[in-house]
Amino acid sequence: MTSFVERPRSACALAGALSVISALPEVIPIVHASMGCGGNLSGANSFGAGYWGAGYCGGGSIPTSAITETEIVFGGNDRLKEEIESALELIDGQLYIVTTGCMTEMIGDDTRGVTNDFTADGKPVIAVSTPSFKGDSYAGYEIVLKGIFNSYLQKKEKKNPKLVNIFGIIPAYDPFFRGDLEEIARLIRALGLEANTFFTPDQTFENVKSAPSAALNIIFSRVWGTSFAEEFEKKHGTPYWITELPVGPEAADAFLSGLAERTKIPDSLVREVIDRENDIYYGYFERTADVFSDSDFKYYAVTVTNSNYAIPVARYVQNELGWVVLDVFVTDQLHDLQKNKLLHAFEESGIDDADLLFETDTSAIDRAMTQRRPQNRGERFPDAYSPLFILGSSLEKAAARRNGAAQLSISFPAFNRMIVDRGYAGYRGGLHLFEDIVGSLVFPKG
Amino acid sequence: MSYYEQIMPPVRDQRLKIGDSFAGNAREMIECAKSGCMLRHNRLFWQTGACQMSLSLMMASTVERSVIVMHGPIGCGAQLHALSVQGNKGKSKRGKAPVPPVWLSTNLQESDVIGGGEIKLHRTIEYADREFRPEIIFVVSTCAPNIIGDDVEEIVRKAQESSAAHVVSLHCPGFKSRVVASAYDAFYHGLLRHLPLTPEPWRDFIPNTAGGQRDIGQVEYELVRSRTINLWNATSIGPGDEEELIRLLGALGLKVRVFAEYSSADELRQVSQAALNVSMCNVHDDYMLSFLEEKFDIPYIIVGMPIGFSDTRQWLKSIAARFGQEEDAERLADHEEERARKAIGPFLPKIQGKRVLLCGGVVRVGTEAIFLKELGMDVLTLRAFHYESGAEAIYERVSENFPNTRIAVSNQSFEFCNQIKRLKPDLVISHNGTQGVLAKLGVPSVQLFDVDRSFFAYNGLFSLLQRIVFAFKNTSYQKRLSAHVKFPYRESWYDRDAFHYIKD
Repeated sequence: MTSFVERPRSACALAGALSVISALPEVIPIVHASMGCGGNLSGANSFGAGYWGAGYCGGGSIPTSAITETEIVFGGNDRLKEEIESALELIDGQLYIVTTGCMTEMIGDDTRGVTNDFTADGKPVIAVSTPSFKGDSYAGYEIVLKGIFNSYLQKKEKKNPKLVNIFGIIPAYDPFFRGDLEEIARLIRALGLEANTFFTPDQTFENVKSAPSAALNIIFSRVWGTSFAEEFEKKHGTPYWITELPVGPEAADAFLSGLAERTKIPDSLVREVIDRENDIYYGYFERTADVFSDSDFKYYAVTVTNSNYAIPVARYVQNELGWVVLDVFVTDQLHDLQKNKLLHAFEESGIDDADLLFETDTSAIDRAMTQRRPQNRGERFPDAYSPLFILGSSLEKAAARRNGAAQLSISFPAFNRMIVDRGYAGYRGGLHLFEDIVGSLVFPKG
Repeated sequence: MSYYEQIMPPVRDQRLKIGDSFAGNAREMIECAKSGCMLRHNRLFWQTGACQMSLSLMMASTVERSVIVMHGPIGCGAQLHALSVQGNKGKSKRGKAPVPPVWLSTNLQESDVIGGGEIKLHRTIEYADREFRPEIIFVVSTCAPNIIGDDVEEIVRKAQESSAAHVVSLHCPGFKSRVVASAYDAFYHGLLRHLPLTPEPWRDFIPNTAGGQRDIGQVEYELVRSRTINLWNATSIGPGDEEELIRLLGALGLKVRVFAEYSSADELRQVSQAALNVSMCNVHDDYMLSFLEEKFDIPYIIVGMPIGFSDTRQWLKSIAARFGQEEDAERLADHEEERARKAIGPFLPKIQGKRVLLCGGVVRVGTEAIFLKELGMDVLTLRAFHYESGAEAIYERVSENFPNTRIAVSNQSFEFCNQIKRLKPDLVISHNGTQGVLAKLGVPSVQLFDVDRSFFAYNGLFSLLQRIVFAFKNTSYQKRLSAHVKFPYRESWYDRDAFHYIKD
């Protein structure tokens, strides 16, 4: 029996599906569930991710079968069919995706049967099964990707050797997904390649359609999107590369070298790009040394994030800022195989002295954070790990207060900041993360 | 058997004449609800909204020293993160500690859906009790356990035996009703069945030696109680509004306590110690207040919202009449009105003749529309999120004031967008959560309610007019934004009637 969770940082598969669809251009969700599911979940997604907002057809615009007790008893297929017909008539989209809630799955509605009738008529309507009891938001991300890219899109015989698809960065649950995608795409393009980000405002449905012709898929996640990438390769023949999201210049250098190796970009070009990017990065960064060093902004760090951000952020503060990382908490619900993949990556990452800890419960993280640091037991010369900086979600504000620590919200949910086009990936992202960390420290001044 | 004795609270579709899909004039609306035709109405197209669970959580998450156990899959409760933020602000503004509420999910998996989630629920309640030592554990039963047939009430009964906290079940399967107002009843149903609502000896008072009630101070206590009013709040009612009403009722020499949001178990034990229960909204509290009348013989008043001059006067008079102070209330209203009318004088020329559309809660839009018409605004139409018999008295007056206006019962965004595009109002006064859509449509708007601001009585009407005038100053943001936003609806939608998709 799986356990209960206390203040989880993820919702259900339907929530994840809605965040993905909401971020995709010209793709329309149709929620086959009760009236509240779509509204509640898209609200949680958009507010929790630094007030991301509803978008083109999100929030209160999402079509839903809004089933009631009648459908629970007699079945909801007819209501769903009616809803899809109306949605096609009313709403302008390139692809309509029916997602399911737990109640319509439990009563055994034949959702796929309903959408197949539309597909047979040449209507772009597909169904994905996203009941909440099958997985969390991260699972929902993968379910939708599989539905679109591995089932709906046809194989393309002709490949574009320059085209790269970016996956593994999850809308909303990686709250900086847009900024991170922009920076990764910028780096890819700097090597003369083309990039599909899918989830940034510059993308159209054409980008989705072109995905099968890509020469490479990059998965910026050790656990989310990896089985999708395997299936993608089987269907479309596109190989994939699983790597960490590069945060900061050192990681970005390594990312560019790795990418060049996989896409046969000449060394000289990569070297040139890396040198130029470092010149710019350090052109900004060196001037910050005065306040950073004079103010003694050296901290012990604890990170509390999802699995995607855990290693990249810990590495950044250790290697770029010279901080001492104590604990790296991963808040996703993971099974052992996924945990092992992350543990392996963590060992390779060279983060010294810190432990990678798996904990989903907010109070348990708070407690562990306290227990794992020496407490002042009335000694004459207590040696506490101080000063402490917590890079977590806005749920860590309470723990930070209790531990006398500084805090910055960089993971879901982030209610105490607005996130628009900001990202922490790459060179630009490294500067942004620095700006936000030190910004929070100088904020009380003046 | 009365509703109060049943395990499951009724949804409003069962208890009242109700509906969520209608367009026509106010008279037709009242008749359609009465005949039951509104309950039959449906749509060929629906967009997502909320459910009774989401609104029950809004209420439960404000209760002090409580823990919430969500019995369902992990997605139910996702909005509690946002509600905690909102609740903390509400607590601080009411002088209570802004402690983030703890909540847990039983995180039902496929195996639980097949095998049942009862054991898991029991363990979660036990953990919540031992780990967090709350005063109240709310057990929120969602759609899934209601479909698989978990006996939540039995688990709650068993868990109560070994828990220090009061274990309160809130039965909120979202599929039971599209009308979210059922949530208020579901929340109150939990309180009235599982929480002590009378003072406890040795904790709240010292019993006299004969084993009866208080010894010392009994006379004084009774005197105070005879002039104590319980005021019932709602998520849409902010501390500013509570303070304004406490101020006015205080001027009449009445002691006012506010329930049930932002209350603790200690405070809730005092609910029965009042002379009168007063609701601030016709469709919010009747379930609880008629229970308190039945059980404790406390009369109640549900007489609309104190919005605008005449409704505020009526609201105050109805309460004062119960204490033989109707004349005092008249004089108080005269005094307050004189000052308020003077204060809003400069605003009136700026709003008169402006074309306004109102959208949101059924009571608020009706009451606000009548008031704004009285001040000289041109009310184009109103949209109520739902309709029910409790709002009938207000809609009789709406019918008198706007006999030929086509109004609607709709919480649907596509219909709203259609109306805005076709009617082109100068201003929209609308429910929280719709302002973004309005900005993208290029229309200036004002919140129909906002817990950070005032809406009730004299402070409220001044504050609202101030904001309406402010909304008209500089609408550049909406203009620039709307020029660059594409809505999901096909152009052909705007050629159709806004209520094309409503069916009988």
